[in-house]
Amino acid sequence: MTLSAEQARELARRTVSLTQADAAEALVSSEDGALTRFADNRIHQNVAENDTSVSVRAVIGKCTGVASTNRLDDGSLAACCERAVAAARMAPEDPDFPGLPAPVAVTTPDRVHPSVSAFNAEARAHAAAAIIEQSAERGLTAAGTVSATEYTVAVANSEGVDVGMSVTTVRSTVLSMSPKGGSGWASHLSGTADDFAPEALGDEAVLLAMRSEGAIALDPGVYTVVLAPEAVSDILDFLGYLGFGAKSYAEKSSFLSGNIGEQLLSPFISITDDATCDETLGLTFDFEGMPKLRTPLVEAGVACEPVTDSYWASKLGMRNSGHALPAPNSYGPMTMNLQIAAGDARIEDMIGAVKHGVYVTRFHYVNVEDPIRAVLTGMTRDGTFMIENGRLAMPVKNLRFTQSAVEALNAVEAVTRKRVLIGPDEGGANLAPALLLSKWEFTGQTR
Amino acid sequence: MKELIANALEASLAAGATYADARVVHTTEEHLSARNGLVDGISTSESIGIGVRVVAAGAWGFAATSELGHDAIAETARLAVAIAKASALTLRTPVHLSALQAYVDRWEGPCGIDPFGVSFEDKLAVLLAADEALRAEAAVKIAKGSLDFIRVDKAFGSTSGSYIEQRYTESAAGITAYAIADGEVLPRSYPNSHGGQAVQGGWEAILALDLPGNAPRVAEQAAALVSAAPCPPTTTTLIIDSSQIALQVHESIGHPTELDRVLGDEAAFAGTSFLTLEDLGTLRYGSEHVTITSDATIPGSLGSFGYDDEGVPAQRDFIVTEGLFTGFQSSRESAPAIGRESNGCMRADGWNRIPLVRMTTLSLEPGGWSLPDLIADTDDGIYLETNNSWSIDDRRLNFQFACEIGWEIKNGELGRMIKNPNYTGITPQFWNSCDAVCSRDHWQVWGIPNCGKGEPMQVAHVAHGAAPARFRDVQVGVGR
Repeated sequence: MTLSAEQARELARRTVSLTQADAAEALVSSEDGALTRFADNRIHQNVAENDTSVSVRAVIGKCTGVASTNRLDDGSLAACCERAVAAARMAPEDPDFPGLPAPVAVTTPDRVHPSVSAFNAEARAHAAAAIIEQSAERGLTAAGTVSATEYTVAVANSEGVDVGMSVTTVRSTVLSMSPKGGSGWASHLSGTADDFAPEALGDEAVLLAMRSEGAIALDPGVYTVVLAPEAVSDILDFLGYLGFGAKSYAEKSSFLSGNIGEQLLSPFISITDDATCDETLGLTFDFEGMPKLRTPLVEAGVACEPVTDSYWASKLGMRNSGHALPAPNSYGPMTMNLQIAAGDARIEDMIGAVKHGVYVTRFHYVNVEDPIRAVLTGMTRDGTFMIENGRLAMPVKNLRFTQSAVEALNAVEAVTRKRVLIGPDEGGANLAPALLLSKWEFTGQTR
Repeated sequence: MKELIANALEASLAAGATYADARVVHTTEEHLSARNGLVDGISTSESIGIGVRVVAAGAWGFAATSELGHDAIAETARLAVAIAKASALTLRTPVHLSALQAYVDRWEGPCGIDPFGVSFEDKLAVLLAADEALRAEAAVKIAKGSLDFIRVDKAFGSTSGSYIEQRYTESAAGITAYAIADGEVLPRSYPNSHGGQAVQGGWEAILALDLPGNAPRVAEQAAALVSAAPCPPTTTTLIIDSSQIALQVHESIGHPTELDRVLGDEAAFAGTSFLTLEDLGTLRYGSEHVTITSDATIPGSLGSFGYDDEGVPAQRDFIVTEGLFTGFQSSRESAPAIGRESNGCMRADGWNRIPLVRMTTLSLEPGGWSLPDLIADTDDGIYLETNNSWSIDDRRLNFQFACEIGWEIKNGELGRMIKNPNYTGITPQFWNSCDAVCSRDHWQVWGIPNCGKGEPMQVAHVAHGAAPARFRDVQVGVGR
């Protein structure tokens, strides 16, 4: 069983009290996770795990050390605290270390739904079977996951920080593959099992798979594209990783560096990190126990300040936006709940506005070629179509793109009103619309 | 550990399992990193738990816990059986495992100087000396380095009668200098990018890398990249260094020859493979210069062990033989699909994950060329070093790699430096264009500690032996 928020907070406080240092912070993570995986129309992997771990950050002067363990008896906890202290004693001083943060009020909404604990192995298997049936009855094969997770995170420090929160999630992904080479994708992410409709999800993937049979070749080049929310979410992830954090900003390796206040993206694009909005999932405090503040990053295309944690807020003279990762953290502060503001378009209207272009369901294996311009390369998969005269036309074989994400989002011409929650089922999720872009460079194609 | 495993197996059988295995894994880790003269991380961690894998009602179930009391383990075993019975809802064919005899054994990987016995002070001295040397070059705006040490103690037992204990120690280190100028970030790494080199071994492996001694050259090359020529968009001959060949093997031969992928098990996440079962023994994967082995017995390699996580002994097998596709990497469940027994590739990344088909040390076997002779034999082309970025499609056909640095080859000699070089291709076409591989003198095993696969995600530590090799008619400068 995962610890309750109160149990986790108590464990965090006890760990702080065991740490013989100038200051100390404890991070407790507890999780019950279960994932039913299916492929070739049968459940082939079906797993569950239970774990609780404690991470200690010890502070001596301006030196810090970190140790963690999942052995929770008193002796093991004390040994873990001693290892953190020993590491801190050997660490060189960081003159910019501001000390551990003082407590700030945190709102912790109820993000635990009882339906998730009842979504047991049998229920998950029935959901998987319902998804599989949609493909099997039409001669296709389904692969994917049905997962349920409950996790609790608590943070306490010697300055008085003492927060904890539990979160439940249900996630499902479906890939349907037709014998004629078509493939389709659908996904679901929610904090409850009650709104999960496996038959509908399986059907959505099947229809896309059948629609994408008989893919043809398309010459690489620059095209007008409509990116579905899954594809847009990938771009958001990379923008967050590469440039929305204060560390990359300060080191001038971010697209935000030198551009705050400048018109960087299309006026149609406003991007915010907001863990507190009702539509998202995850924790509302960061791994230092600070509230995750709603942080505008791009407003109508104009670049805003990056997200921070206590270290980078102090160093740069910015507010602490509450985006710390667990210590030690070489990445710097990181966005976890990105969203693009809804527009007023419908996806049908976007497609209708394109004379000759490409529709992309989602991307595969995206990676970075140039961090400052956020040049990404990757492939399309599971539903790539030509758009001809305002209508989805022939499916095309998966395409490779090599494209600056910043330049791409400067070419946005429309944003859908409808947004979809997409992401990993831990820590956060993106709220992504579909986008119409006037240009996107495809540089290759698979066989 | 033996008692914990016996407890799990007994409870599994009592709950209705027809087969069960259990693994207790205790992992301790240490990480140190430096950045621009500051230490941005000193941390230690430990994790211990038990994972119980069962077959019941003909289907798989798995449950894992970090609570190691008798009752908690028995409850976890019963949960695994309940999960297996739920899995049977969609069962078409009961799980069938290839034959395996029982083993009772102990195996330990090499470790000279125990890295956990070396002081933080000594470790930081190496890191900070390298960091200082990197920053001596004015164009280097970010200098970073890291040291990572892992010790794994694990015990495996099965209802077939096996009980195996294994211990191995991994040590990893690397440095990178980033020159940032004119809107470009130009990294240069040693001995490899993405955390450097990783081996099974101890502190002696870190000392042998001589990070401080190599830092000035790395920094100098990073600075030189600022004014280097961009990669021309063209089709040309490539000579690729051994570390990038290692990643090329990983992505375009390693993953597509995993038999579970070919059978569709990873379709929804990492993808499938362009290979089919019928390609075995018939497909010409590469030219006659291309021989690929899967070998879990190489001392000091990150891909080595005594037994895999199903209790199958470590083996050496041929995946591609002089260009002909001759073998998959397999497991006890997948191997019967090709009429063979498992060649021992099942590994899990911890106590809380099931084993999957993972690469061991998958290597391009050496050829006969020296690198200077190979360059001298090339009229026009590019020589590339050190990976910077990688991407490949869901069937492992269309790939694109970027490297940190390149040099033009003109009339058999290295010429001007090239920045941000990248190249793209289609897997079998690319490997069939290989017309030379360098000799064992240039061959090196590279540790890859970040191979992602599976849901929940697992990160495997694998390795690849490789020597520089030459490829004809490759498209470079994509999107430049």
